[in-house]
Amino acid sequence: MAGGCAHQPAVNDPNVRGIGYVRVDDVLKTHPLYGQLSQIQDAIDALGLNALGPGAVPQSQGDLARQTQELNRELQQAQARANQIIAQKQQDYARREQQAINAALASAGAGTNGNGTVQQMQGTAQQQAQAVTAQANANFQAYQQSVIAQDNAAVRRLQQQLSDRANAAYRQRATALQEQESQASLEISQQDAARRLDLRMKLGNLALSDADRKTYRDQLAALDKSESDKVAAMRKRDAQTLVAYQAQLHAQSENALRTQVAQIHAQTQSKLASRHNEVSQQVTAQIQGLQPQPVPSNLPQSTKDKIAQIDSQFKAQFKADAQKTVQQYQQTKADLDQQYAALQGADGSAGGAAGTKIAQLQHQRDDLYNKMVDQIKRDAAAVAAKRGLQVVFMNVNAAAGGIDLTDDVKKDIESLHQ
Amino acid sequence: MNIRRVIPFSAAVLAAAVIATPAAIGADLSDVGFIDQAAIGALPQFTRANQEVAQYKSQLDGQFQAAIRGKSDADKSRIAGQYQQKFLDKQRQVLGPLFQKAQVAIAQVSSSKGLSVIVDKRIVVYGGQDITKNVEDLVNGSSAVAPPSSTPPPSEIGFVDQTQIDQVPKIKQANDDFVKFAQQRRADALKQMQGAKKDAQKQQQIFQDYQKTLTDQQNKTLKPLVDQTRDAMSKVAQNKHLILVVDKNDIIFGGTDITKDVQDALK
Repeated sequence: MAGGCAHQPAVNDPNVRGIGYVRVDDVLKTHPLYGQLSQIQDAIDALGLNALGPGAVPQSQGDLARQTQELNRELQQAQARANQIIAQKQQDYARREQQAINAALASAGAGTNGNGTVQQMQGTAQQQAQAVTAQANANFQAYQQSVIAQDNAAVRRLQQQLSDRANAAYRQRATALQEQESQASLEISQQDAARRLDLRMKLGNLALSDADRKTYRDQLAALDKSESDKVAAMRKRDAQTLVAYQAQLHAQSENALRTQVAQIHAQTQSKLASRHNEVSQQVTAQIQGLQPQPVPSNLPQSTKDKIAQIDSQFKAQFKADAQKTVQQYQQTKADLDQQYAALQGADGSAGGAAGTKIAQLQHQRDDLYNKMVDQIKRDAAAVAAKRGLQVVFMNVNAAAGGIDLTDDVKKDIESLHQ
Repeated sequence: MNIRRVIPFSAAVLAAAVIATPAAIGADLSDVGFIDQAAIGALPQFTRANQEVAQYKSQLDGQFQAAIRGKSDADKSRIAGQYQQKFLDKQRQVLGPLFQKAQVAIAQVSSSKGLSVIVDKRIVVYGGQDITKNVEDLVNGSSAVAPPSSTPPPSEIGFVDQTQIDQVPKIKQANDDFVKFAQQRRADALKQMQGAKKDAQKQQQIFQDYQKTLTDQQNKTLKPLVDQTRDAMSKVAQNKHLILVVDKNDIIFGGTDITKDVQDALK
């Protein structure tokens, strides 16, 4: 782009021949809406950041639904697998324990149905049942804590989402009002542009009397005041609108939060109740499975001790073995939970895919840019007419002559928005 | 080294782009004319021709996808070239006669009005003569448009073909080096972004650093050449008694081509 020039030749100079030019890119930087234009460009660049990294662009709703179904399927499979393994182990250990007890009884010469050992064995069975129940309760408590933690996390996420949504809506409204203010400000100043230019040119006349100079200055000041009053009134009204809108958004968020939190809590209670029933059924089944066959009660102490030892040994082995399966299941579930969380994160931003948002912002940016350029062109045309030029160009690559209107237009644009 | 983005006559007509209206309300004594290419592109005959070309392209796209399935990159590239050529042939066949008629009409109007140069409406802020309507009338007429008997008078508006300027060895080398540099930095930034998957702040920083690196490099290697080119254009324009220099893509008819002189000055 051609450079500016402090001393401007006459319009009919052979090096001008009625031709002028304006460096629009330079004027744009002094335009009052340039900051807004830059902000939109920054937002586009920030979104472009997502596009730079592969896989960072949010997924579509269809993808999310498909992946959620897949995760649900994996979780159900993991649950079924864990239950099946535990049931199988339970049967195996019960069978082997019974065999060991029978062998101990046989070696003691008491047969397998001696009445003396029945009570003792029932006592052992009771201990086993208590251990199973205690384990089940411990598991249930762990589950309960996990579900409640999930409940709390869901509520926190919800609060955050509602807050983000309200903030976004507020920002959008604020930006829209700001744009309206800027546009109105432009229009107001445009309406008075000719009058302002006229006054400024009169003031530029060195031969002006003091009285006339004062009159023109007063008129210019009155014009400025009238414009700034109008703009200030609009800003005040918009500020009130924003305060009211913020209150409205707050109330809406609170209502939505109350309703959705109630739903989350209800779901949590339902999950816990369901799990409680499930645990009760499992405990019953396990206790039944663990009860050994009744044995004679009149056994020698050494045999009783042997049976108690066998019972204790198998119970410990079963517990340790079953615990491994439970841990494996919990690990699988934790992994799946993480994947759910990741998916939910993606869902939070999937509503507006990055590409769509960039396109929207680009459209917004182009609109604003065109408005600004149109205004610069109008101002340049007004300056050109005053200067008596025949034709004025923009977007020139280089200049060897002509009149550079850039500085005049810059001043005009600046003065229009002071 | 594209100093700015431009849209050639054919591209603007093909795209029928919406272009902002210049405030062409000033003096009409200048020998500079301008034309609204979007308006010409929106004439029914151009619209129909564009539709025909678009339909053909859609057919070609389908065929192309089938043709490259399972092919190596080299084959894909070769096939893409073939299909591109088919498309260009069709475009030339359908739109060529229309462009030719429009060009002759522009020359005819320009000659009859004694204009030395016709530029794109987008670069005129004030003044000049709008010949869009005159050209439309001639293009819409049923009879053939007679070419003007004289060439346009010398114009005080010069132009350069930036694509030719970009081929000057030192500029081409600088451009190629910059492209390589940008590709390398982009690959580095991508790697870093993957490492900072969930840290939005870090990602933002990486992106800003990436942009700054490119801007710095651009200022260091390309900007001096842009300045040199601009100075060369100004000097050539001065020697040839021209007032302004614009891009070739903004010139529709006439004007003074100084591309070769600028190329020589840059060597």
